[in-house]
This record gives sequence, structure tokens and C-alpha cells, in this order.
Amino acid sequence: MDWSLIGLSFAAVFLSELGDKSQVAAIALGGSSKYPKAVFFGTAAALLTASLIGVLIGEGTATLFPPQAVKSVAALGFLIMGLRLLLLGDGEDDTTEATD
Amino acid sequence: MTPAASPEDQAIETKAAPENAGDDASAETSNAAIAHESSATPTANDNSTDSTGLKGWWKVFASTYVTIFLAEIGDKTQVTTLLMSAESHKPWMVFAGAGTALVCTSLLGVLLGRWLATRLKPRTLEVGAGITLLIITIGLGWDIFQGL
Repeated sequence: MDWSLIGLSFAAVFLSELGDKSQVAAIALGGSSKYPKAVFFGTAAALLTASLIGVLIGEGTATLFPPQAVKSVAALGFLIMGLRLLLLGDGEDDTTEATD
Repeated sequence: MTPAASPEDQAIETKAAPENAGDDASAETSNAAIAHESSATPTANDNSTDSTGLKGWWKVFASTYVTIFLAEIGDKTQVTTLLMSAESHKPWMVFAGAGTALVCTSLLGVLLGRWLATRLKPRTLEVGAGITLLIITIGLGWDIFQGL
């Protein structure tokens, strides 16, 4: 085990992710959803998959996932979730205080 | 099904005791109660058929997963891990560190969200969350625009 490399990548990623859009989305979705655990597992799994793909296929990522197209779909996803919360209240008004 | 109180009492209870919504039997009665005052909360009961609780869980999981995954592909964290693993030739070590960091930041995010949920009114939180997501949308739109 290369602990210094693990520590270095932990620090680099932790600092770059603090306050980044995924974490902000996790705050927004986790706070307003009826299923915060689903939000946590969804966010963590997505980030793990993305970094796993980065590590495994490296430079090939951009060819496999053209960034503009992929980001457009992501933007659409955030737009839909945001509008849903604003306009429909996600149908979860009365369960927001549930603890898990 | 629990013996129902008068519709008015039931409606009040729905608002006052949100934890009841997890229970199928009481959820059914409270849905009936909501139907009585559906003009007051027209959107609240669209998704609140609680027999679909597990389905709702997976829906939240899947939509979160897909959106965050797509937003993170090609983003700076992925580039960082990519460069570090290319440089060190130890991709699994980099993944171990990066993965732990990502789990930590997501956990912190969701916990902070839950903490805010105890402080703010549900509707305030929803509006705040909705606006936040729209800001992220604009941020992504900006990234796309700059990359063209």
C-alpha cells in the first residue's frame, strides 16, 4: 500500500470537491428529498464510477463520453430537478422532517 | 386500516406528524384526508402514495446517480485522478484515496442538507434547493458554452 499516494489523492480530491457542484447538489437534494440516503448513495456511487472510469480509461474518457454532450444532459437533469422542486414542491412537503 | 378520526382531525394530524407518512396504513387514511382539502395542497399528494416507497427510493437514487455522474464526467476531479494515476502508474491507490474523499464529501453534503432541513421551513428549503439546482444548471451551461 502506498499510503502517501492515497493520502495525496484523498487531499487533492477532497479539497477540489468541497463546495463543488456535486456537493452543493447533495446538500440541495439531501435536504429537500424524502430519501436522503438514496441521495447519498446515488451521489457517492456516481462520483465513484466517474473517478473509476477516469482511473481506468484515462485519456480515452473524452472520446467515450464527449464532454459537451454529456454536460448538456447533466444540465438538463439539474434543470428538471430544480424546476420540479420550485413548481411542484416534489410532492414531499409534509415529509421533509423525516430523519432517514 | 386504523379507525379514522373525523376528517378535520386527520388532516391536522397529517401536517403535525410527518413521521406517520412512513406507515402504510396511516398513510392511506391521511391520503384520504388530504383529498378532503386537496384544494389547499394541490401538489402534495401526487407522489405520496406510500406503497411505492421503495420505488420512490430507487427513483431518487437513479436520478441522482445519472445526473451527478454525467456532471462529473470530464470534470476537474476526474482529470485530477486521471493525471495522478497516469503519473504514478498506481491507479488503484489513487482510486482508493479519491474514492474515500468523494464518499466523505457526499456524506458531508447530505448531512449538511439534513441539518438545514431541521432549521428551515420545508417550502423555504425546496425553493432554496430548486434555485441552487438552477444555478448549477447555469454553471454547466457556462462550461458547455466555454468549451464550444
